[in-house]
Amino acid sequence: MFSLSQRLQDISGFMTTTIFVMAVVISVVSIVQLNLSGYQSLPGDITVNDTHNSIRYSRNYGGKSGHGKENVKLRFDLDADLTPLFNWNTKQVFVYLVGEYDGPEKGDLKQSEEHSKVIFWDHIIPDASHAKLSLRNKKSKYSVYDYYPVLSNRTASVKLEFNVQPWVGPLIWGTLDATDEVRFHDPKSKN
Amino acid sequence: MSNSPMVVVLSGSMEPAFQRGDILFLWNREQYLDVGDIIVYKTTVRDVPIVHRIVREHIVEEKGKKRTTRKTQKLLTKGDNNQGDDLPLYRYGQNYLDREKDILGSVKGYVPKVGYVTILITENQYFKYAIVGLLALSALFNQE
Repeated sequence: MFSLSQRLQDISGFMTTTIFVMAVVISVVSIVQLNLSGYQSLPGDITVNDTHNSIRYSRNYGGKSGHGKENVKLRFDLDADLTPLFNWNTKQVFVYLVGEYDGPEKGDLKQSEEHSKVIFWDHIIPDASHAKLSLRNKKSKYSVYDYYPVLSNRTASVKLEFNVQPWVGPLIWGTLDATDEVRFHDPKSKN
Repeated sequence: MSNSPMVVVLSGSMEPAFQRGDILFLWNREQYLDVGDIIVYKTTVRDVPIVHRIVREHIVEEKGKKRTTRKTQKLLTKGDNNQGDDLPLYRYGQNYLDREKDILGSVKGYVPKVGYVTILITENQYFKYAIVGLLALSALFNQE
């Protein structure tokens, strides 16, 4: 009844229950707090300044030898204050600039339902003191190519999205209240 | 390869978001995944499932059997802590992950460190022997 293994089992069982209950309480309280801080409607401002399009042939840029793919880069301005995303259960916030666009038009009878979303730039914010973003003419981090070879003359809406990473609990995603539209140029012709 | 709803992080490529030993809760019911989601996928190249973030998604119409088209989602992933995307991790000639074929689930929740026991047991043989030894000892000294 009071053997060593019995005592160990009791202690570890109690610990597991405590940890589990604590984790649930922490995640519920921090979600409520995050909602009260109004994370779904954070103001901000995004402007895409120019885009650059070039045809690349290496596999790392989506191409094959002889079959190039258009790679798009851009420069943008960004203003956002993400401080409300940080509370005592926030480990980090991952922000990323996305472009969303529809697939190529395939004749006028059949409306294409194809859709794409790509990341141009991302950044890890480690704490609240770095949460005020003010970027001027920032270069995109990635050279973006599409599933299909051609990206030029397609219009993308550009937004900033974020992923709040907690110390314990559920991950939360959201979008900044700001958007800009950009039309990709023909290859090699700078804005 | 089990389709368990929980997975233990084994590599540091998503640091500082996830560290080795953290436990992730997965969900795999959505039709399409979203950019920014953190997914667990497997490739034929490596046995261990990989936990990385989606950086591109394309919903495309693929030619299926008998001249039908099939709508599917193609995904490109990257580890937050890695320089480049995951192309080198995919199998030869594969440029994208397929939503239906390759994905084990996307991460919805997170508990730190608790899974480190799994890593100790699988990677440290002395720890394994110690546990087995303890069990044997406690069985010997059991009076019931």
